[in-house]
Amino acid sequence: MNLEDLIPTNEICAKYRVESTFVRSLHESGLIEIITVEETQYVHCDTISEFESLRRLHYDLDINLEGLEAIQHLLGQVRKLQKENLALKNRLNIFE
Amino acid sequence: MDFIDYYKLLELDKSASQADIKKAYRKLARKYHPDLNPNNKEAQLRFQQINEANEVLSDPEKRKKYDQYGKDWQHADAYEEARKQQQASGGRTYTGGGFGNTGFGGSHGSYSYSGNFDEDTFSDFFEEMFGSRARAHGSGRGHHFKGQDFNAELQLKISDVYTSHKQTLSVNGKSIRLTIPAGVENGQTIKIKGHGGPGVQGGPKGDLYITFNIINNTKFKREKEHLFSQVDLDLYTALLGGEITVDTFNGKVKLKVKPETQTGTKVKLKGKGFPKYKKENQFGDLIITYNVKMPDNLSTREKELFKELQKLRS
Repeated sequence: MNLEDLIPTNEICAKYRVESTFVRSLHESGLIEIITVEETQYVHCDTISEFESLRRLHYDLDINLEGLEAIQHLLGQVRKLQKENLALKNRLNIFE
Repeated sequence: MDFIDYYKLLELDKSASQADIKKAYRKLARKYHPDLNPNNKEAQLRFQQINEANEVLSDPEKRKKYDQYGKDWQHADAYEEARKQQQASGGRTYTGGGFGNTGFGGSHGSYSYSGNFDEDTFSDFFEEMFGSRARAHGSGRGHHFKGQDFNAELQLKISDVYTSHKQTLSVNGKSIRLTIPAGVENGQTIKIKGHGGPGVQGGPKGDLYITFNIINNTKFKREKEHLFSQVDLDLYTALLGGEITVDTFNGKVKLKVKPETQTGTKVKLKGKGFPKYKKENQFGDLIITYNVKMPDNLSTREKELFKELQKLRS
């Protein structure tokens, strides 16, 4: 994995003004992946938009970690269904 | 420009307390937050509306002004002018808030949510009544967010990706014409920068990720740029050698078969495989595996001859 694609968790905490325990809790709940390289913890840059969304839900809407887990699960299903729907629409377009 | 009933938007009546406003806003925000409604423009619009309603009603000064002028907001400037003239001429003192672009930037402990929506989140009504600078206060927590990434799946036949071609995709109501490069693989995802959701507060647009679902309805097995196929050989060609015609992905080729070819023998046809992804005019190989077919329904004469052959070998 390229180190340039990784963002240290302490930078994330400073930029988004969140506690390190929040990032750790997200990791422990399996909501984001933390990568440790030479004792420094990182988050992959592709995970940032997911992290931002979780941060908003937690801090803006007061949704706790259990709620975030349930939401992630349901959103995964919604996105899967949306993808299927889109694929079917695109297939229909071929015949139009 | 129409009057916007912020109380109606938050499903409140005019006597609602700050606690009621907060409660109503939180309830509706949870329902319409863009993070909870992916790719739902209606929810995004509704969220913007309730955000704006909260911005006004949770700020005592803005609420006072809104309540004071209400539907007559378009005449607010005229009222204000009249008030100033009255003050200048020694009339009674007016203690209400002023108009214009400078009066509503202070902190008052209200809250507003951020999310995946356009920078232009406030209505013309809001801009007109509170001024464009009021949005600096009402712009959430001041973060710049990249817009939401969109995901789409595109199903294609393997023959569709043998050559590069253009295709129009419909993503979130928008038509996007893109070139699908030859050699795209099943499950491969490509990123189209800036075709996702709009950024928040000046943040960049999200990206569009397209995952290809390639349906292989041919007899060729594909592994990256290489193709694999099984070719049946009759016993006599396998034993004595000869020339056969085999199918490749884009036509037929003649192939010499060496004598005494065994089942499972592999032959590589260089450059007759699949195009290499994003490498123009470069192709993988076609690997053919021979499968020697034994003759069946032997005649009496054939059986006699095979027995003769058997005697020769033993």
